[in-house]
Amino acid sequence: MTVRVPEHERLSLGNGAALILVPRRDVPLVAFNAVLRGGGLADPASRPGVASLVAGLLEKGSGERNAYAFADVVEGAGGNFGAVADPEAITVRGQFLARDQQLMMELLADALLRPALDGEELEDLAARHIELIKAAKDSDPAELIGTYGRAFLFADHPYGRPVFGSEASLAATDREDVLRYYDGHFGADRLILVLAGDIDADLLARMAAESFSRWPQTSTAAPTLARPQALAGRRVLLVDFPGSAQTYFWIGNVGVEKRYPRRAALDLVNTLFGGRFTSLLNTELRIKSGLSYGARSSFARGSVPGEFSLRSFAQTENTGRALDLALHTLERLRREGVTGEMLTSARGYMLGQYPLGLETATDWAAMLAEIELYRLGRGYIDDYPAQLAAVGVAEAQAVIEEAFPPADSVAIVAIGDAARIRGPLGEYGPVSQMALTDPEFSRL
Amino acid sequence: MTIPAATLEPTPELQRARFAASRRLCVSGREVVRAATLANGMRVVVWPVRNIPNVALYNWVRAGSRNEAPGATGLAHFFEHMMFNGTSRHPPGEFDRLMEAQGGANNAFTSDDVTVYQDWFPAGSLELVLELESDRVARLAFTPAVIESERGVVASERRLRVEDNNHGLLAEQVQATAFLAHPYRFPTIGWPADISSWRMEDLQEFYRTYYAPNNLTLALAGDVDPEQAIALARRYFEPIPAQAPPPPVRAVEPEQLCERRVLIRRKAQTPLLQYAYKAPRASDPRAPAVSLLLSALVEGDASRLHRSLVEDRQVAIEVSGHWQEGFDPGLLWLSLILPEGADPDEAREALDTELAAVAADGVTEAELERARNLATVGLWRRLATIDGKAQLLGEYEVFHGDWSKLFDAPVRIAEVSGEDLRAVAGEILNDRHRTVGVLVPSEEPTETARRATRASTGA
Repeated sequence: MTVRVPEHERLSLGNGAALILVPRRDVPLVAFNAVLRGGGLADPASRPGVASLVAGLLEKGSGERNAYAFADVVEGAGGNFGAVADPEAITVRGQFLARDQQLMMELLADALLRPALDGEELEDLAARHIELIKAAKDSDPAELIGTYGRAFLFADHPYGRPVFGSEASLAATDREDVLRYYDGHFGADRLILVLAGDIDADLLARMAAESFSRWPQTSTAAPTLARPQALAGRRVLLVDFPGSAQTYFWIGNVGVEKRYPRRAALDLVNTLFGGRFTSLLNTELRIKSGLSYGARSSFARGSVPGEFSLRSFAQTENTGRALDLALHTLERLRREGVTGEMLTSARGYMLGQYPLGLETATDWAAMLAEIELYRLGRGYIDDYPAQLAAVGVAEAQAVIEEAFPPADSVAIVAIGDAARIRGPLGEYGPVSQMALTDPEFSRL
Repeated sequence: MTIPAATLEPTPELQRARFAASRRLCVSGREVVRAATLANGMRVVVWPVRNIPNVALYNWVRAGSRNEAPGATGLAHFFEHMMFNGTSRHPPGEFDRLMEAQGGANNAFTSDDVTVYQDWFPAGSLELVLELESDRVARLAFTPAVIESERGVVASERRLRVEDNNHGLLAEQVQATAFLAHPYRFPTIGWPADISSWRMEDLQEFYRTYYAPNNLTLALAGDVDPEQAIALARRYFEPIPAQAPPPPVRAVEPEQLCERRVLIRRKAQTPLLQYAYKAPRASDPRAPAVSLLLSALVEGDASRLHRSLVEDRQVAIEVSGHWQEGFDPGLLWLSLILPEGADPDEAREALDTELAAVAADGVTEAELERARNLATVGLWRRLATIDGKAQLLGEYEVFHGDWSKLFDAPVRIAEVSGEDLRAVAGEILNDRHRTVGVLVPSEEPTETARRATRASTGA
């Protein structure tokens, strides 16, 4: 038994909207995944966070319902409904009991076609998002380190913008920004709608057509992205977190795109480097040295190359030791590559693990939307085991050279007690410093 | 293919009737689950499910911080780490190397009550996984150098979750204040001095006592033949001898006589407010009503406290809650994040007003129905994965004494009445039975703040 793309129906509504129906009857639930191309990269450069606020406002009143009535009807049915922005799309997701699938479709149509985008709701939401960033800084600064890292690495490229917004940009956003975003970036040509689970496919197809086939297209072409420039040399951003017990660090550079042709080899090499418990990174920083609770690496892959990053943390006085180990491990990967034996182990791991992410109707709703958004084709799933099997040492070596940066060409972000780590950090390159309480994620 | 826009006939009644079949009150699958008790007392429960070619395994150890003593707190959690660090048969690192090479991943978690080991692997690796799981129960190695290194890892985890995390820091102080007699007062990760001072004999004694087969429950779900899985469990676990049952936790927390308060001043931007009420144990017959009460209070934007405190009065930016469902009566937590500059007293007054109303009158029929529906959807969502199924089987077997009770869970959710909910609200939401934690921003140096902060008074 292997995992393959399940039987599904793909329909075009004639105005650019794509509709995908995936029946699955193991539990009496239905789910939708509506993807609208655009997202953070459609934000004005000076106002990151607009797409995120638009996403948040979709459930704050639409059609005949105000925000309270909307929440009452969603949660009253036991359902959930929410939207988030990522750099390239806004994704609206929800799940309901199968008996409520007609209601689910009505709510989705209201939210996408008839959102109130109310000014007072916007003010409240923006104020709350600002406070949530402050709260994260108090209790989970490591959660924000990728946002600092991307801002530092990508600078003016749209991937550098905080998709959630910064405290400063959220405070500056007004209703005009939100309306402009909605008018410019919500329309049939941007929509991918996946309906999955215990669905009545005929009924939902008719309802989707009724709701969305007359939705006008947007007036603008979907925004496109330039390929970002990789960083040459090293630079360091120190985010001061006075009194912190640990230093949280992130090391990154520009990696590869979603359609990168050597994806299977990339997954295998990253598994070996920082993608599983016995990875090179975790072995050095946790298992052998006891310096850290953990260390991981990953690739963010969009329509153009996103970032390769590794992240870990260690007690303040061990900051230099931990950074050295992380950089040496990266250098070792570049210098020594991986062996056939290592690849065999990583292949076993990936083959055993990838079905676990493709188990439920909601998993498939998300995956089929992703395949459609990035034009990946069903081979992205169906051919993956064969691609994993075909990766040899030479291809792995090619991936290491293409996708993993040399240890002397990386951006380093450290969130920690500047009074105690500013000196040691100077060893790694020119240091810029900002306060964790700064309302921006970048001071470039 | 393009489909034409059709005029939809709105027939919600017909639609509802059509999907009436999906308003299932029973979870299906009870008839295919197999359970066995091995000769040494270990329980094994297996649920065959063939959605994906994988298996989820949960090995439940009845040992948590509840089973610890002053001076040696954090031991249960330390084992969660040490159990990956080598046996007399497999040297350090081999457990993960072998499992990962055959497609398996693993993790573990520790609570006040239990330590749980999880594996997710392809069906063909079942025997290897059971061999590895049994080996570490039978033959754990205690290598001094490995123990020292792992102390460092746990200290790093503690810094992440407590010292650099205001929520964790406040909750640890609140929990330690809420209990006088019962070991639920110990932080699961352990007090810092204890982490650095466990002795070899503490570890060996804890292992011998709690990592005994008669103290374990193994739950599997996924692409397995139950009879074969049980036969393999017998082959690998049955040779491990049973031990004397662990000593019962005899401590009974006396009734709390007054509200207790903790105030922490600390470098922060957003103040925090936490209420911890004494609440029933997991096996209490009122458990479904307690869950629905918590849901009505905090689950979702329509919940009582979110709407009142976050939306209407805007005294909080986030409200959440959690019930520690354990072997003994524990805590029901309500946790608020306040906006920068907010007065915690104002949030307290608003929260108290809402809670007093619920304690007196319960919730509306619509709120109860919402809580029931959210619980039902939540249950189905967990049942959609082999991971959720294995975990649920284990939870019901360990905390409710019988895995098969899982299959009636929707009925028990549906049966909770408004009066049931009002009764538990009146009993739990009692000022005298709560501990209140407040964290307010201070510009004092953190170290000073840390030393001077804990204040606890009767109301």
